[in-house]
Amino acid sequence: MSESPSSDRVPARTASAVLVFGLCCLLSTARLVIDAPSPRDSPGDIARRSDQRFSALKAALPERGVVGYIGEPEIPALADYYLAQYALAPLVIDHSPNHPLVIGNFPDSSSKNALPNDLKLVKDFGDGILLFANQVSAINKDEQ
Amino acid sequence: MAFTLPVFLCLASGFLLVSIGWQSYRSFADRVFVGSLSAGFGLGIFSVVYFLSLLLRFTHPILVDLAVCAVLAGAFLLFRIRSAPATAGDAEQNHRQPPWLHRFATAAFAIALAGALYSAAMRVLAYPHGDGWDAFSIWNLHARFLFRGGSNWRDGFTSLIPWSHPDYPLLLPADIAHFWTYLGHDAPAVPAIIGFVLTFSTVGLLFAALSLLRGNLAALLGATALLATPAFVELGTAQYADVPLSFFVLASIVLVCLYDDRPYNDQPASDSPPAGLLVLAGFAAACAAWTKNEGLLFLCAILAARLITLTRRHGSTNWIASGRRFLPLLIAVVPAFLLIAFFKHSIAPPGDLFSDPSTTLHKLADPARYWAITRWYFKGFFRFGRWLLVPGTILMIGFYFACGKEEHVEPQLGIRTSVLALALTLAGYFAVYLITPYDIYWHLRFSLTRLLLQLWPSAIFLFFLLVKVSPVRDSRGATLPLPLS
Repeated sequence: MSESPSSDRVPARTASAVLVFGLCCLLSTARLVIDAPSPRDSPGDIARRSDQRFSALKAALPERGVVGYIGEPEIPALADYYLAQYALAPLVIDHSPNHPLVIGNFPDSSSKNALPNDLKLVKDFGDGILLFANQVSAINKDEQ
Repeated sequence: MAFTLPVFLCLASGFLLVSIGWQSYRSFADRVFVGSLSAGFGLGIFSVVYFLSLLLRFTHPILVDLAVCAVLAGAFLLFRIRSAPATAGDAEQNHRQPPWLHRFATAAFAIALAGALYSAAMRVLAYPHGDGWDAFSIWNLHARFLFRGGSNWRDGFTSLIPWSHPDYPLLLPADIAHFWTYLGHDAPAVPAIIGFVLTFSTVGLLFAALSLLRGNLAALLGATALLATPAFVELGTAQYADVPLSFFVLASIVLVCLYDDRPYNDQPASDSPPAGLLVLAGFAAACAAWTKNEGLLFLCAILAARLITLTRRHGSTNWIASGRRFLPLLIAVVPAFLLIAFFKHSIAPPGDLFSDPSTTLHKLADPARYWAITRWYFKGFFRFGRWLLVPGTILMIGFYFACGKEEHVEPQLGIRTSVLALALTLAGYFAVYLITPYDIYWHLRFSLTRLLLQLWPSAIFLFFLLVKVSPVRDSRGATLPLPLS
């Protein structure tokens, strides 16, 4: 079981390995520090695109329930939709115009032209945010 | 005050739970161990308490939190009176290295810690709502539904917004909402702080566990390796659930190894390791399952691994010995199974993974999918940490060849269980990619790195249990055989 006192020493190979290991780790630490973002890079980006942007609309919507949503068709615009849902929770935002109330979200206002005919503008909140009433959905809901 | 009280109650409940299974605070490693576990376990308790309060419509969470603390304090006193302090061999003091080597490792650790803290703080300040879509489209969104929804909190868990993954478990969202309830508003600082705390608790837990089992040098190197994994720190502060999951996976594995492989296993049966450690391991696995669906996979994996290793160790005839080492783990996870089953069955809509069963068999029979996943696993193995110049995985392979395997160690029951559990979890991830309803390359591209990071702290822990970093000696200088369980 016991060994000679000399075996108490760490072999040179192990010591070298520890040195190399530590130094290589510190290389990646350098990357971590260099790549650290400055708080000035994107201050409150999500808050600006969600909570702040939708605050006026939120006051005009019911507190609970489901409302519809239309936005720009491109894939990147999905983030705008997700941010709308994030801002307006606990209201559920269904990506569909088939609801009595429909939110229009067009940060790039040039794409507002192709709106469904059933939608009637209730209010323009500015910054590409609109609130529509879907008359067909409202009638269907009343009938149900 | 509004933030201090819930923080105190969260930490206190975690500490009391941990103390039921761990009653030694003598060494620095003991205290780091208890502190790190207390933070994570406190969050686990806080989450479940909030969720049950919502279900049962308790409107005063502070009363529930106080009641939980009181019950845990009672259990703590009971166990403290009945059991002697844990008699762990002071592995921390039994490892000797040259002072200069220890000083170098300490300096490297300190620099890595300072760098990680700086980076994490900058990221939290730059991205207060999280860095990436999952933060606001899944975890914080669910927290808002829980907090803002009042009695209609279930509205958010609807199939109308499948992209928010309403079937994902609620550990993080319920924790966040719990703290918001105390604050009275949905402060973005809460998820940021939770992410920060769990990131560095994972490091603390890794350090303490290695220190207890293999000594300070292994602990310093292991913790440095984790701190110097850029992707780990970045993901930990992005307000995703992967690093919290990695904490609970590591906690479960550490506790199983402490139960099986510490020196008290050489003592007579009456001094066998406290079963509380296995209960805590089960609780950690349960928290993993309550954090992410991948955690549910890990929970099943560690139960299966435990059964397999126990059966191999004790044979199929010695049921009592096997049962003693399995039942405490099982008992701790049963409530979590029930809770998750209730959530999945009664609240959440079906998940997207099995949304297209008609093509599952076809996908399973497609060799191209196996090959694609294998290639991505191989690439991911070298790339997932975003290391600079030398991948951490290569570094560890090189370190292993330079130092060799611990001479006196046959892989122990705890290590075997843990390695098998991680292997089964990785195999489970592989199977999920095989049957994914999404484009397989898209799915691999956006998730494989995070899945590997979920297991990375545990992999580092097991690596440093197996590699020979330094001779292990007792107080008289004799080489200690590592415990045979």
